Amino acid sequence: MDLSVLDRLKWLQQQQMVSPEFLQILGSDGREELKRVESYLGNNNDELQSFRHFPEFGPDYDTTDGCISRTSSFQMEPVKNSGHNRAISLQNKRKPEGKTEKREKKKIKAEDETESSMKGKTNMSNTETSSEIQKPDYIHVRARRGEATDRHSLAERARREKISKKMKCLQDIVPGCNKVTGKAGMLDEIINYVQSLQQQVEFLSMKLSVINPELECHIDDLSAKQFQAYFTAEADSKQSIMADFRSFPLHQQGSIDYSVMNGTVIISLCSNKSFIIPKFLLLVREVTYFFFLFCRKIRHHQAGKLTHNVFTTA
Amino acid sequence: MERQIINKKKRVFSLEPNKNPSAVFTRKYTSHLVPALKKLNMNKNSSKQTVKHEVDMALALSAQEFPWSRFLLQKLSSSSNPTTTTSSSSDGIRILERPDKEGGNEEGGIEERLRELKKLLPGGEEMNVEEMLSEIGNYIKCLELQTIALKSIVQDST
Repeated sequence: MDLSVLDRLKWLQQQQMVSPEFLQILGSDGREELKRVESYLGNNNDELQSFRHFPEFGPDYDTTDGCISRTSSFQMEPVKNSGHNRAISLQNKRKPEGKTEKREKKKIKAEDETESSMKGKTNMSNTETSSEIQKPDYIHVRARRGEATDRHSLAERARREKISKKMKCLQDIVPGCNKVTGKAGMLDEIINYVQSLQQQVEFLSMKLSVINPELECHIDDLSAKQFQAYFTAEADSKQSIMADFRSFPLHQQGSIDYSVMNGTVIISLCSNKSFIIPKFLLLVREVTYFFFLFCRKIRHHQAGKLTHNVFTTA
Repeated sequence: MERQIINKKKRVFSLEPNKNPSAVFTRKYTSHLVPALKKLNMNKNSSKQTVKHEVDMALALSAQEFPWSRFLLQKLSSSSNPTTTTSSSSDGIRILERPDKEGGNEEGGIEERLRELKKLLPGGEEMNVEEMLSEIGNYIKCLELQTIALKSIVQDST
């Protein structure tokens, strides 16, 4: 049986909704062929109720069980009407692909995939076509060569595409992912990055716990405005002072050292390399920029130990 | 000094200070952490909570819009000595070694790695893969901001 032929037909009908003209293209014998297909399918399965509602295929079924020959129905005559050229070209495109092997591939694959759940061959083929027909209600995806077209694999494919989209987003976030290709390598990178971040947090908190008793924190109630003044909504990449910064979590190459000595604030910015900072780091720079400016402000106002100021959100 | 001059020129006033999510997060984070540290400092006798706990708590409180923060909060409040992110570090050595062995096996390796990633994210094991992947992105960003804030605090006080 030539289900791919039928698939094509149905698909094109869905696309165009100009079935009467379409049938004209087929020619008179084509119509009979189509009817035969309809009857063949219509007898076998209740799932194909949708088939009965096609306007041109009325309820007059012949109970013939002939198979459509492969080539007869779709010998397309050259059509003058340009509107149908697309349909024709689509059909013709599939022809030179090696009809035999394509259809067999599809058929075999469909059988393999649905064999477990289906009872007979005919049922298998019917559900395959029915899932094709129901496609217009959902996202219309054209089956690629050699891929099965049943619903499960379509859903699976959609899911896989979603996941790969998200992986691409993650690629932007995690530095160093661009060089690695493939899901596994990227996942490795991401895992390593998250672990290194967590270890850093752990290390810093340990350090904090050591120096905590000596910590002198004064929570001054500076006005919220003053704090916000040092933040820019959009980061200006031309800030020359920031040009050499590297963010902390990456490989510990650049660092911003704020060291407070008696009465003076020495702020040393050391960076080993200058990089083109990706966009998300621009926001990071704002934070550090704030601390920098604040330290400077403290130096003017207060000679002595550095006092902590915390944002107080209103 | 040059830097002073540069800084004087660069003082920009932001009209919408609350729109920048990283700034908002950092602000919230420090506002949670520093008082907590102070309190910890003062209650030296009855310090049940460790600094790590406070650090994680601050993280969870500052990122309330994400699901993983709720999981983290749950974990923190349920256990007195939480091992939220510390547990992963022991697995870390294993994970770093493993890709060498599993280099050839791509298909199965991906599943393994996804599972490891799920373990790293608080609450990741209850999510499905797609959700987990988007949450990991948020988590990474918040971790980065957290490390920066912590580092500044540590540096400032030494």
